Amino acid sequence: MLPDNLNIITLVSIGAHPTSGRARRAEQDARAVELGLRLAGDKLQVLHAGNPADEALRAYLGMGLSELTVLEQPSHGDALPLLNSYLKDAGAQLVLTGSQAETGEGSGMLPFLLAEQLGWPLVVGLAEVEKIENGMAQVLQALPRGQRRRLKVRLPFIACVDNAAPTARQSAFGPARRGQLQACEVAVVDDSLLVDAHFQPARPRPKRLKVIKAKTGAERMKAATAKAAGGGGQVLKDVSPQAGAEAIFKLLVEEGMLR
Amino acid sequence: MMLNTLLPILLFAALGLAVIGAGKRFLMWRRGRPAKVDWLGGLLAMPRRYLVDLHHVVERDKYMSKTHVATAGGFVLAAGLAILVHGFGLHSRILGYALLGACVLMFVGALFVAKRRLDPPARLSKGPWMRLPKSLLMFAVSFFIATLPVAGILPEGFGGWMLAVLLAVGVAWGVSELFFGMTWGGPMKHAFAGALHLAWHRRSERFGGGRSTGLKALNLDDRTAPLGVEKPRDFTWNQLLGFDACVQCGKCEAVCPAFAAGQPLNPKKLIQDMVVGLAGGTDAKFAGSPYPGQAIGEHSGAPHLPIVNLNGKALVDAETLWSCTTCRACVEECPMMIEHVDAIVDMRRHLTLEKGATPNKGAEVLDNLIATDNPGGFAPGGRLNWAADLNLPLMSEKKSVDVLFWVGDGAFDMRNQRTLRAFVKVLKAANVDFAVLGLEERDSGDVARRLGDEATFQTLAKRNIASMSQYQFNKIVSCDPHSFHVLKNEYGELGGHYQVLHHSTYMDELISADKLNLGQHKGGSVTYHDPCYLGRYNGEYEAPRAVLKAIGIEVREMERSGFRSRCCGGGGGAPITDIPGKQRIPDMRMVDIQETGAELVAVGCPQCTAMLEGVVEPRPQIKDIAELVADVLLEAPAPAKKPVPTKPEALEVH
Amino acid sequence: MSDIIRRDPRAEWIARNRLHPLHAAMQTAQTSWMGPNGIVRKNPHVVGFIGPNGLKRIDRSGAQQGGSGKRATASAVVQLPLHVIEQPAFYIAVVPDMIGGRLSSHDKDLLGLANKLAGSDGAVVAVVFGEHKETAFDTAGVDRLLQIEGELFEGYAPEQRVLALSAVESQLAPRHWLLPDSRTGGGELGRRLAAKLGERPATRVWQVAEGQCIGRAGAGREDLVRSAPRLILAAVECAEPVSDTRHEVRQVELLDQIARNLPRIEDLGAVAVDPALIPMAEAEFILSGGNGVKDWTQFHQAAAALGATEGASRVAVDDGFMPRNRQVGATGTWVTARVYMAVGISGAIQHLQGIGACDKVIAINLDPGCDMIKRADLSVIGDSAAILAALIERVTAYRQGGARDAA
Repeated sequence: MLPDNLNIITLVSIGAHPTSGRARRAEQDARAVELGLRLAGDKLQVLHAGNPADEALRAYLGMGLSELTVLEQPSHGDALPLLNSYLKDAGAQLVLTGSQAETGEGSGMLPFLLAEQLGWPLVVGLAEVEKIENGMAQVLQALPRGQRRRLKVRLPFIACVDNAAPTARQSAFGPARRGQLQACEVAVVDDSLLVDAHFQPARPRPKRLKVIKAKTGAERMKAATAKAAGGGGQVLKDVSPQAGAEAIFKLLVEEGMLR
Repeated sequence: MMLNTLLPILLFAALGLAVIGAGKRFLMWRRGRPAKVDWLGGLLAMPRRYLVDLHHVVERDKYMSKTHVATAGGFVLAAGLAILVHGFGLHSRILGYALLGACVLMFVGALFVAKRRLDPPARLSKGPWMRLPKSLLMFAVSFFIATLPVAGILPEGFGGWMLAVLLAVGVAWGVSELFFGMTWGGPMKHAFAGALHLAWHRRSERFGGGRSTGLKALNLDDRTAPLGVEKPRDFTWNQLLGFDACVQCGKCEAVCPAFAAGQPLNPKKLIQDMVVGLAGGTDAKFAGSPYPGQAIGEHSGAPHLPIVNLNGKALVDAETLWSCTTCRACVEECPMMIEHVDAIVDMRRHLTLEKGATPNKGAEVLDNLIATDNPGGFAPGGRLNWAADLNLPLMSEKKSVDVLFWVGDGAFDMRNQRTLRAFVKVLKAANVDFAVLGLEERDSGDVARRLGDEATFQTLAKRNIASMSQYQFNKIVSCDPHSFHVLKNEYGELGGHYQVLHHSTYMDELISADKLNLGQHKGGSVTYHDPCYLGRYNGEYEAPRAVLKAIGIEVREMERSGFRSRCCGGGGGAPITDIPGKQRIPDMRMVDIQETGAELVAVGCPQCTAMLEGVVEPRPQIKDIAELVADVLLEAPAPAKKPVPTKPEALEVH
Repeated sequence: MSDIIRRDPRAEWIARNRLHPLHAAMQTAQTSWMGPNGIVRKNPHVVGFIGPNGLKRIDRSGAQQGGSGKRATASAVVQLPLHVIEQPAFYIAVVPDMIGGRLSSHDKDLLGLANKLAGSDGAVVAVVFGEHKETAFDTAGVDRLLQIEGELFEGYAPEQRVLALSAVESQLAPRHWLLPDSRTGGGELGRRLAAKLGERPATRVWQVAEGQCIGRAGAGREDLVRSAPRLILAAVECAEPVSDTRHEVRQVELLDQIARNLPRIEDLGAVAVDPALIPMAEAEFILSGGNGVKDWTQFHQAAAALGATEGASRVAVDDGFMPRNRQVGATGTWVTARVYMAVGISGAIQHLQGIGACDKVIAINLDPGCDMIKRADLSVIGDSAAILAALIERVTAYRQGGARDAA
């Protein structure tokens, strides 16, 4: 199904743990590495733009990679031009990325911009590569709620994976310690975003209140004194199984679960 | 006379072959990695270790102990005398009678061995072991008859050449099993390897009443050292020697919770598989119970081949290694003092550190430990949320206290928070000068280490040691036997030496010092479940019972309690790796509990609480000892003299 | 709302005052109407109320109509004022997801945001691909509707759609482009458009105010505050949906031809996914069994009949009735189902933690006191086997009935 000499590059970034914020391998990027390893095995190339001394990169090496190429740039640099010029000559048939970074802006634009600049097609939400033949790949795209769509796409292409892609294998200490971080010196391009934007700790978003557009005082009063919805649910006791089933059935139909 | 020439030849030939075999066997062990041993001191200490320490273990089975004393004692005596009398031809009457006596002793012992082999329990290996009593009897009888003329009871040359030939055959059988078989892999191998194993044991501290249960650290700075054990030769050589000492008595199999639950682990088979790996071959000749659910004869290995093949079969399946709860029941029972748990963790280390193959939730738990310092992946900032209203003193504020209360990861578990709160209530009632590390505390590293992730363990341990080194305290008290064990026994190698107490021990001290004003427990009967990491690992069986007694509880003991307590199934990361079996370990333990008719089971470990509470109701209630004590605390302060907060002697902690 | 009937003098006053704009809403059920033969019919039962002494009273003071708790305020369709933009100063372009041909709640939030940005001079133009079934574009706040139809845009055709949007860009040059940052198409289309137009979009935006927009950054631990760019991919609940105006929904046509490209991505259609194989965390409808389930064959039948993904409690997994990857709860999988149906699960704390994100919980259990009942929106107490059997029967009948209707 898959040709032997697939040239696959996975782009990885430094992630942050959702509760502690500590640097780690990014969840989706690791899934992209996993997918790459399943497709290309040892020949998978993994590429990162950033600081080659970053220990968190070793978590990718721990997945069994012998080396990881790092395009060296400071944290405020713009990774796009570096990756673009690298990929232009790398001869890859498939470039895998995560859907969005866990640190920084995390706009998820990188694969789109790369695809645009390289002139390659882009597949979003890649779940599985079924076959590659005659310069075309047949892939499964993940849709919400576990649904899948089959696509046929021309090589070379870029694909980003989200959480529907196979779970990344465990990162082991031994290979992580042995793997090589190959630094590449490249010209640095600054990112213009941070000139006018700034980060702040995420503010929790309150649950949307049921806003009642009151036309009259009475309605406002009603809205203000209304008992909060919820509380105990409906309990059917001492009913026949048929009556119980009917109640459940009605709720399922209301929720649109029976199709 | 024919026998007089034949017997020395037979004896010395067998001895010579035994020596050659011994050399070969020794070289086989030495294929393992080097280990520091006290060569001479060990050998000198060996008789005492054998006669005292090992005897204590064997003595638990009176029948076998007496049988072994007679058989082995008789054999050693008989063999020595036979070499003198028949080998060197010292035909003295006294020696003759002594040899006859030794043969009789051995014969009687061997009869009891044979009796047990008539209908052997399932835990015993069959195969060549069924032959052993016959060989022993043959040895004893042959030398007895051959010695009768020496003692002057029978005339020289009695029976003519017929008897001589028969005796020669008998002696040949006897010495080939007992001398030559000892070093060439027969059942008697246990005597030879066992003796040397005792001499060069990897935990010599265990002898003379000591205790050594902490896992040994990997040197992660040495980049050339293997990370755990991949192939049999990655074990240290004295571990290999230890495997060879196994007598296949199956005591370990009989107590192993995983084996009983039908998980694919049998400690005896595992050790025998390691012997197969050490010598090379297949497990087809193994004559004991297989790993539950696995056929015998499909696995094979060699010293230089990987023990586990993740995509097929090798010597042992990974599932076998992950079934272990590290409860140490096998080690406790083993009459040869073999270290099963060390071997299993060594092999797990390779799987986790090199292969990244920790099964099921293992990888996630380890990732969480790395990223959040707790196995659940909770935000580290929430570690003290359980005590938001308790106004707990923090180490960072007090700097110097008597007791450092080690909270443990139970801080994130709503059930365990009840225990913690109860214990804080007790501490406050006793006016103890204590504090917690709060957000400076991290997972102790217990789970990481037992899942084989030595690197994460050492990182966590070093950071904990660094946090604690900023403060002064006299002792650490913890409600979690796992943290307790790791802090007490495993941080030392990384530079953290502390006095650590389990909360039951500390409450016992408080009660003895009359610092607590306690009422009496009301309610039904109570039994007590010994946590493995408190009992077998640290020998604390008395304090929890004393505390329960002090609050008026008479413990209805389970059949398996104390050092024979059955594991709850929660140790060693077993709930995380979750290897399926026929039944669940906590369910079996709950049956033990229910057999006592107790309405409540007292525990002293968050893991045990979680595992036992996971059993479907109806079942006895489960309460931590701290909860039971807190329940009967009387409001009025203890009448004892006003507790003067004793200034803790400055104790330098590194 | 309490059941006590209170007098509301203001409402009574409105009910008496026929000139008041809300007068009609204050009238209770219809009391008289024109019959088929041209005769006015009255329903005397509707008029009046039962007084405190049990006697029927008819009161024409207005107190009855105004004070009655049965007032039908909400049902009165109030004609909202029409918002007309004749000559828009600028456009705000919105590309709604239109899941199932209708505006989703996310789309409506987005239109709300668009109206906020449009103010009184701009016009909100919704760009819709293909056929739609939406009837409420007007109340959702669509001033202009641009429908782009054609075979090329059907199915999954993001590249072709971006070309169409570029054509919109060159024709209308909207001040802002707004797309939902959703997994159902908007997030992807928006980013493709951004790459095409060379605009740096603001993503996962949840607030736009005073020229600044705030969006989630990274893994959600930080917010990025920046001046609002032209292209905004907005999160759910980025603004309140339009609720008090009607809009024209004037049709707009594209003047230029949309460029055609050679499709590099071909849509081979949806793949049938067995509900049983959908990862638990993603499943929409889960039928979960626990210790109380005695007949597992029937349980599997029920899951098949309902088209539900199967789940299980820890005990059911431990006992070997279900595989480990089906375990729901803190120690198993955290699920996000819209409907979670727990059969014979008493509701251990870890299990309830794991279903915290579920919308509707249905419980079938023998024990009316168990924790799952407390959590459930609908509970049926009784023998699970009998109830499941009845449910299977009911659903099968419904399915067959549905098939007949379709035929």
